[in-house]
Amino acid sequence: MLELQSVHVSISGISILRDISFRAGQSETIALVGHNGAGKTTTLRTIMGFTQTRGSVTFEGRDLIKVAPHDRPGLGIGYAPEDRRLFSGFTVEENILLPARIAGLSPSETAKRRDRAYSVLPELKTLAPRPAGSVSGGQGKMVALGRALMSATRLLLLDEPFQGLAPVLANTYAAALRRLHELAPEISVIITESNPELLERFANRVITMERGAIASDRIVQQGAAQTPA
Amino acid sequence: MTTTLALIALLDGISYASLLFLVAVGLTLIFGVLGVLNVAHGSLYAIGAYMAATLGGWLTAQGYNPWLTFPALMAAAILTGVVVGGLMERFLLRQIYEKDPTLQLLITFAVFMVLENVQRMVWGVQPYFMSEPLRALGNIELLGIRYTAYQIVFLPVMAILTMVGLRYFLRHTLAGAKIVAVTEDREAATSIGIDARKVYFVTFVIGACLAAMGGALATPTTSVLPGMGANMIVLSFAVAATAGLGNIEGALLAALLIGVARSFAVYIMPETEVLMPYLIMVLILLWRPMGLFGAVQARKI
Repeated sequence: MLELQSVHVSISGISILRDISFRAGQSETIALVGHNGAGKTTTLRTIMGFTQTRGSVTFEGRDLIKVAPHDRPGLGIGYAPEDRRLFSGFTVEENILLPARIAGLSPSETAKRRDRAYSVLPELKTLAPRPAGSVSGGQGKMVALGRALMSATRLLLLDEPFQGLAPVLANTYAAALRRLHELAPEISVIITESNPELLERFANRVITMERGAIASDRIVQQGAAQTPA
Repeated sequence: MTTTLALIALLDGISYASLLFLVAVGLTLIFGVLGVLNVAHGSLYAIGAYMAATLGGWLTAQGYNPWLTFPALMAAAILTGVVVGGLMERFLLRQIYEKDPTLQLLITFAVFMVLENVQRMVWGVQPYFMSEPLRALGNIELLGIRYTAYQIVFLPVMAILTMVGLRYFLRHTLAGAKIVAVTEDREAATSIGIDARKVYFVTFVIGACLAAMGGALATPTTSVLPGMGANMIVLSFAVAATAGLGNIEGALLAALLIGVARSFAVYIMPETEVLMPYLIMVLILLWRPMGLFGAVQARKI
């Protein structure tokens, strides 16, 4: 579904990603793990089109590099960046619904996606009328996930969603991701995380990055690890 | 100073503040969204005025109803904003968004200088007048003072309508929501499907139309002549900085403050007229460095 082949990214002359190649299949949940600066965030930003990229990125047969960044959500890709990045001038619900308004979705499709987001994250319902600038850091991560879910019909990219979350909220967030997998198993998810142990509980594949390159790529299922075919 | 004189100064100030607001709000909108301090904004004001004088003058010469000069003012403003503003954004500003703010300032200043000379080439150096809208609306009496309805009713109403309209547009329409989202976080906005380049273009054209509208609406109250853009850009910078760059509602209050203070200076101490707007700006910035309503943000210039 998503395939990166020999992807290189440099920022201000410094090589950030070196020869990244991997393929994400439908319904996979991939954990992209590694230390700070390993290139995890840059990998997600490359998929979203925010970097100058050499190499090939294809999504469902389309050359993604030729698709303008603002057209990528329309392909069914949702992205929750690090640090939430909500629009504080709007309420929580306005933040969540904005991608649907921009995509010009029909009211029924909008309602369907919103309801799915609320089923995955029931706490969003109570937060809905609040100004987005007033929610806590952890709640903001939920809102950012809800907003990404409005676009993510095929692929969901989550950048460091667990960073800075209190253990209780981290569990809530993990439970939400499991619910999403039950409700919409067709969606592939890529999550970046510095702490691999957090993700192995629900990721079925772990890609480890080191200094801008892929160090290992393992399938993890019920504790058994193996190299993907 | 007699009460009558004070009242006249107040009315003068309100009328002038209305024009000042229109120009300053365009400047502040462009800065707020694009992060560019556009010196060439003054040229859009001047070209708007020349276009209005030309179009209105032509209508009058053809013997059309003087009321038609009102739509002509609007048409001149929109034409100038869309054509001159649109070309400016598309072929120049778009190339420099990622560049150093000092370079942006220098380039827009260069555009301002070029357009000043273009105005002289097209319209010459003789002044233009177009007083039909002023005469069409006649005078009204306010607390014993006769004043033109154009200046004391029409201009303030236009300023208030612009502010309310702009606020409604930004808060309650999808296009406005896109502008607000891009202003807050361009990358996050792009990641939910907003074409930031288009938003920048639309915002710049709206800002340019507002500057040109300030110029077009000023035409009936003043003679249109070279150098008017330079005066206005400096004053509207003072208004935008006093309000806090990027603040729309604050610009109305700051325009009123500066416009009224300037007109009182004309009557009480005429030699301080030019100084007054900057004196107010300096005092307010000493008290609140980010402006009356500005929020602390990373240094731009």
